[in-house]
Amino acid sequence: MSAPVDVMSMRDALYEEPGPHTLRRIRIFTGVSLVLVAALVGLVIHRFCVTGQLDPKYWSFFLKGTTWAFLGRGFLGTIGVAVTAGVLALLLGMVFMFGRISTHRPLAMVSRVVIDFFRGIPSLLLIYFFFLVLPQYGVKMTSFWMICLPVTLTASGVIAEVLRAGVNAVPKGQWEAAYSLGMRRTRILLKIVLPQAMRIVIPSLISQLVVVVKDTTLGYVVSYPDMLQNARVLITNYDALVSVYFVIAIIYILVNYAINELSVRLARQSGTRVIGRTNENPV
Amino acid sequence: MPLSELLATYGGMYVTALLTTWSLTAVSFLGVMVLGLLVTVLRVCPVKPLRVVGDLYVQIFRNIPGISLLVFVVYALPNLNVVWDYRTCVIVTVVLVGSAFGSENLMSGINTIGVGQIEAARSLGLTFTQILRQIVVPQAVRSAILPMTNLLIAVMLTTALASQTPMKPPELTGLVSYINTRTVGGITPFVASALAYAGTAFVIGFVGNRIDKKVRIIR
Repeated sequence: MSAPVDVMSMRDALYEEPGPHTLRRIRIFTGVSLVLVAALVGLVIHRFCVTGQLDPKYWSFFLKGTTWAFLGRGFLGTIGVAVTAGVLALLLGMVFMFGRISTHRPLAMVSRVVIDFFRGIPSLLLIYFFFLVLPQYGVKMTSFWMICLPVTLTASGVIAEVLRAGVNAVPKGQWEAAYSLGMRRTRILLKIVLPQAMRIVIPSLISQLVVVVKDTTLGYVVSYPDMLQNARVLITNYDALVSVYFVIAIIYILVNYAINELSVRLARQSGTRVIGRTNENPV
Repeated sequence: MPLSELLATYGGMYVTALLTTWSLTAVSFLGVMVLGLLVTVLRVCPVKPLRVVGDLYVQIFRNIPGISLLVFVVYALPNLNVVWDYRTCVIVTVVLVGSAFGSENLMSGINTIGVGQIEAARSLGLTFTQILRQIVVPQAVRSAILPMTNLLIAVMLTTALASQTPMKPPELTGLVSYINTRTVGGITPFVASALAYAGTAFVIGFVGNRIDKKVRIIR
């Protein structure tokens, strides 16, 4: 979503203003596609029906307050990990970025390798590292940190690159002007460049939060009670797999959608672009 | 566990695991490109309901956590009488998630072209097909190289989800948990898998950058 403002206009610009003949054809296609979409939705509902998944026993417990209280506790767990990991990843990403743009060659090289390493391995592998490998060396930590630290590390690599893109986006003239005023490199970076870079990357950083939230769902590997883990408990209690996963998936989608929308809005307001990895990392 | 012992006991499995990760990645990425293109066509077509479906698809699958989608595909779909083997389940999950991101890449590739070019082409008398074939697609493909390279790496990382299913043979992430639940594997199995991932990502990134430098349009 690099230029969300243009999405509609570019889409529409591809076609000429339709004449009466084309307009009729578009209308026919619209009708046909509406029917097709409705048929598809109907097919899915029918599938739910014949397999008995619409049975009230699978859905009625969503009317109970306790269900939502339980899921809510899981949601708080999710938020706890996501916010902690997000803040830590921002700090660590900042450190990596400073290393990466340092004029000290070896330091820059090492930072680059570290950043590429954490960007190049799946967070699940890191989770197994904290969950299975570290305990063998006597390192014990709570399940909170076992999910938090891997998520932090994988996110910090991407964030370092996002921050670097932000620093690079600050015009060269700012550096030159500050140098000619006699400021040192570190001072320029901290006082002149970084404040401007941060403004540029804030939307991108917020959209990185989506990746972090998604990664927290892997918390069940270390049995951290996040929302997905609590959903599993609900499933065993009510023997209702499809309905619970359905509802949980919708909650996650809505939360991440809201975060994405926020980042796109902010980007539009400040006239910047959301920088990510693809634009962001799936998982 | 020292490296020599690891290689002697699990060397063969590592090769299989690496090849499994690579083949999962390749097959998934192919699916991602095809489905991503299809969704993008829906999103730019003049028929409103299809556009809405395309947009909805992207919003759903770029925001759903991979693991909850995988669990849905593996455990919930059989309740709806849809049964696939684990490998297919993983590929379907990765393709669904990846294609949403792929479509986003293509859309922003299209958006970089600018309305003015289309207007110019039309005033020169180019037909819709000509505009697409000679103006839009070549530019969109060129500017999508780098994002697609990154997507390929991301798809590879997403295939690690396979470790959450009892898929046989395990891929790189699954193998680390396989070894460590059987013996005290120490840090070596982890490092071996991590280097295999990071190395592959590095090569993909390197090649992608090369191609991008060659074909990039400097604006």
